[in-house]
Amino acid sequence: MNSPSDNDINPLFKFSIDKPNIISRMMWVSTLLIIMLAVLPSIWPKTFSSLEPLTVDTDPENMLSEDEPVRLFHNRMKEEFSLNDIVVVGVVNDKTENGVYTPETLSRVHELTEFAKTLSWPDKENPEQQAGVVEVDMIAPSSVENIEQGGLGSVKFSWLMPEPPKTEEEALAVRDRAMNIPFLKGTLVSEDGKAIALYLPLTDKHLSYDVREKLLGKIAEWGKTEESYYITGLPVAEDTFGVEMFYQMAISAPLAMLVIFLLLWWFFKKLIFVVSPMLVAMACALSTMGLLIISGNTIHIMSSMIPIFIMPIAVLDAIHILSDFFDRYAEIKDRRKTLIEVMKTLFAPMLFTTLTTIAGFASLALTPIPPVQVFGVFVAIGVFFAWFWTITFVPAFIMFIPEEKLAAFANHEGGEIDEERTAMGHFLKLAGNGIYKQFRLVLIMTMVAAGIAAYGIGKININDNPIKWFGPDHSIRVADRVMNSHFAGTYMAYLELEQSAEYAANNTDNSTQLARMKSEITKLNDEEIPNAEPVFKQLAEKIQQIKNTVPDSTSKQDSLLTLYLDEQLDNASDEEFDAWDQAQIFIDSERQRNELFKQPELLEYMSKMQNYLTSLDVVGKANSLADVVKTVHRELLLGDQKEFRIPETSNAVAQTLITYQNSHRPQDLWHFVTPDYRKSSLWLQLKSGDNQDMSAVEEALAGWVKKNPPPMGIEANWFGLTHINVAWQEKMVNGMIESFSGSFLVVLAMMVLLFRSLLWGILAMIPLTVTVGLIYGVIGLIGKDYDMPVAVLSALSLGLAVDYAIHFLARARETVKEMGSWKSAVGPMFGEPARAISRNVIVVGFGFLPLLAAPLVPYQTVGIFIAAILFLAGVASLMILPAMITLLERFLFPGQTAKG
Amino acid sequence: MKKTVQNRLASLFLAAGLLASSVAFSAPSVDEIVNKTNFVAYYQGQDGKAKVKMTITDEQGRDRTRQFTILRTDEPQTDSLENNDYKGDQKMYVYFNRPADVNKMVFMVWKHPGGSDDRWLYLPALDLVKRIAATDKRTSFVGSDFYYEDVSGRNLEDDNHELVSTDDNYYVIKNTPVNPDSVEFSYYTMYIHKETFLPIQTEYYDKNGALYRTNKTLKVDTIEGFPTVTKSSMENLKTKSKTVMEYSKVSYNLGLPEEIYTERFLRKAPRKWLR
Repeated sequence: MNSPSDNDINPLFKFSIDKPNIISRMMWVSTLLIIMLAVLPSIWPKTFSSLEPLTVDTDPENMLSEDEPVRLFHNRMKEEFSLNDIVVVGVVNDKTENGVYTPETLSRVHELTEFAKTLSWPDKENPEQQAGVVEVDMIAPSSVENIEQGGLGSVKFSWLMPEPPKTEEEALAVRDRAMNIPFLKGTLVSEDGKAIALYLPLTDKHLSYDVREKLLGKIAEWGKTEESYYITGLPVAEDTFGVEMFYQMAISAPLAMLVIFLLLWWFFKKLIFVVSPMLVAMACALSTMGLLIISGNTIHIMSSMIPIFIMPIAVLDAIHILSDFFDRYAEIKDRRKTLIEVMKTLFAPMLFTTLTTIAGFASLALTPIPPVQVFGVFVAIGVFFAWFWTITFVPAFIMFIPEEKLAAFANHEGGEIDEERTAMGHFLKLAGNGIYKQFRLVLIMTMVAAGIAAYGIGKININDNPIKWFGPDHSIRVADRVMNSHFAGTYMAYLELEQSAEYAANNTDNSTQLARMKSEITKLNDEEIPNAEPVFKQLAEKIQQIKNTVPDSTSKQDSLLTLYLDEQLDNASDEEFDAWDQAQIFIDSERQRNELFKQPELLEYMSKMQNYLTSLDVVGKANSLADVVKTVHRELLLGDQKEFRIPETSNAVAQTLITYQNSHRPQDLWHFVTPDYRKSSLWLQLKSGDNQDMSAVEEALAGWVKKNPPPMGIEANWFGLTHINVAWQEKMVNGMIESFSGSFLVVLAMMVLLFRSLLWGILAMIPLTVTVGLIYGVIGLIGKDYDMPVAVLSALSLGLAVDYAIHFLARARETVKEMGSWKSAVGPMFGEPARAISRNVIVVGFGFLPLLAAPLVPYQTVGIFIAAILFLAGVASLMILPAMITLLERFLFPGQTAKG
Repeated sequence: MKKTVQNRLASLFLAAGLLASSVAFSAPSVDEIVNKTNFVAYYQGQDGKAKVKMTITDEQGRDRTRQFTILRTDEPQTDSLENNDYKGDQKMYVYFNRPADVNKMVFMVWKHPGGSDDRWLYLPALDLVKRIAATDKRTSFVGSDFYYEDVSGRNLEDDNHELVSTDDNYYVIKNTPVNPDSVEFSYYTMYIHKETFLPIQTEYYDKNGALYRTNKTLKVDTIEGFPTVTKSSMENLKTKSKTVMEYSKVSYNLGLPEEIYTERFLRKAPRKWLR
């Protein structure tokens, strides 16, 4: 306190070495408080209802914000076409000649279907509603409709498999019936006859875990069966993902902690020094996660990685402080004075490395992907905590260690001299000399690396697939492979077709109505309906009169006309009754002209579109209203394959469809068309859920539509999860480019400010630019898809890689000032500063490697690439920077005389 | 639930002026109740005609309508309940008017209680008369929530009937299928009005014992002396779809000729009888 140097040190740091007790208590109390606020409402949600409980979110849809138009449209279409999320049960038997079509297997399929029907219970929140499996929309052999020829040329509606078959022949008959129905072939039954898939729609996808468990329980009752069962479907994948995510947090994060702990112990030998960085790391990780929960954010694939990002970053600065402290303590022999010296050197670089790291992560807030935003913002908060507690708690903790202990430690270790005798010290010394002498070679190597990076980046493949977030041997992936090998594809994409608003507005012309009226009169005269002419004339006059009365409202015109016709029909004389009846039918059919999806022209177009889509490799099958019409038409006409076609008139289509609705499941139709016949949906089954495949399909269709303009101003719009994935990926790629370039400029500005020199600022950016370039170059070269975790890495590398450059350059400047020239500064630079950077690379780099133990691929990707980024950034800083300084010495140190 | 049925019906029958009609003093047997119900619901008069407007409303509130005329002629020449003489074969002719694109479509039935019915469908736009194979009768009637069997009437012999309770207004009958595998319900309960013997509410329970389908009588009129349901609804609690049928221009004993129930009249509708 009475030391003169006290005046120009940071007051916060000063406070912490003056009042170490208060600082350490502050850290405990604030961390515990945050944890309590987060944990209490999660355990007792009722008691602490005003606080936010922990919520887990594994829904890939949430990669887009709730009000994103793509999502709103997707949800609206799901509702309009009554499409639910589905659990798929695959039944595969490739041991018998007839595949799954044996009485034994089919009877178990039947039993499982009946069991699935019972998986419904009153909704917890709304007991009036049922929650669980939607029985009426289940697709299973015993619950789908079969339409086929009955005896005497009659048509027959029945369940495909009303009861389990008793003989081999009956079992094969089930197969043959299903294969004859386009909707079922490749969907319910595989074309190779080896597999059946049951589709169990859920009222809410979050019930999939329960449903799956119960189904597995039922299957287990049978013991070993000749057929195998696979339970899959997106909701199942999501729930499983949630479980594994916690596994990741429970295993990988503590493991990372342990690895960091062991490495620190190895470097600093004494346990007591390792404790403070570990405590800081833990406090930061816990408080950040606590804040995340308190603020009502969800635990998502991204946010679950927050602790594992914060912990290594949190120990970074502590390593610098401890490293420097030991070097100096041996000389100064006073913990307080040593700390003040250490802080004088390190305070500015630490502040700036923290600010750049924060800038890197905070820039993620600029991406349009909410989970990525949350991740970025909270890691940034965590990094701030880490800085705060590192410059306060770490010194405070050292103040708790008695001077004698420190002295004993310093004496025992022998300080600087000993350090240089270690393998690492030795190696760095040699490397420093080599780089100084061969700086041109280093720079040429850098150029070559940059060239390779540029080439690799050009080859980057942008792609993602949430199913591939599971490892290749995971049961979800196995089920996915098996199902896609037997069926036409398990990834669903949907196309909605409707008339464009613009076309509808410009085509309300009724001028041809009079012409149609005339031909109707001729037809009625032929049918000998009396008085058709005067009645229709009267009708035409009335229509005109109504139009004049309410010119603006077509709906009012319609209701007035309806009223008029009802009246006329009620009061019609016997002679005019039939004519008025026909007039009413005429008006009704005029209105039905709006029922677009009964028009053969449009159904033919849909058919053509469908044929084109199925010609694409990745599309296994397409289902549409056109298939329904064709199938029923064929069965009405004696099952003749020639009659598998769209009939010629819209009335024929309407009558075909009403016949179809005489079934057990009339509501099936509304999955393909809305009851007003204004919108229709086309289902695609894709064999791959890769975004690039879906993108290719979307592009191909857009090209096809351009060449084959749809009739009646029809537009095709995509929905379904595969499309949502493409949408968020596009946003992410563009968003990442923006956020990366934004934060690159911010960091550059900070560097220029820190070094008060444009040249120094640019120099500081070089290692990180090379690092990021190389990492993405390698990703492009090895063919690793540019997916979500890879995209996020750019921001991370920006924040972390610049740290080493800051430390190196700041120390280089200081050392050159001390030693008089760069040549004489190289030696010391490759002493303590280079060692601190190397230690950092090793501790933090290895700290991320436990992510490899995680069962989910994105975590593994992040683990490997961060370790690689840190290693590269370290090497780049230690090689390129000294080489560049050697090259640019005259400009960097202008006051200095020629090299000496 | 029963309370609300009673209240609703009490007012309903007051309106219909039926309370004044005769009151049965001695309790009838289950067999008498179900036969009388079967009679008033499906066999009143030698023949009959009604215009029907059907409105199907789905879970999302989207509705669509169909209009058709039903003609019906009974084989037995008597309405006598003695020895259940009223019971026998029936013929039905359902002529569709609306929507316009199904105009002239005809659905014809020769009903044979105890055997399988003959069914035909005429699709004018395809110029096609099609026999519908005798299979399941519990399929949708033209996309509505009523089953074909609800329109034509279920054979009494297909169920075991049990009088569960009797109160001031209703006989409550529980009907359990003789052959449970042939139907989707485990049983259904009918609330039968004591004076008119009209089924006022019918509740179907699925194989898990959950109520999933409800038929309600919403309006009753006495037409030519016959208590007649003129508005009824069927609600499917699983699909949350609901269908309302409104009957108008109901008349009995018109003297409909037998010949209209033949294939020839499918293509050329008996216009005179359909007005």
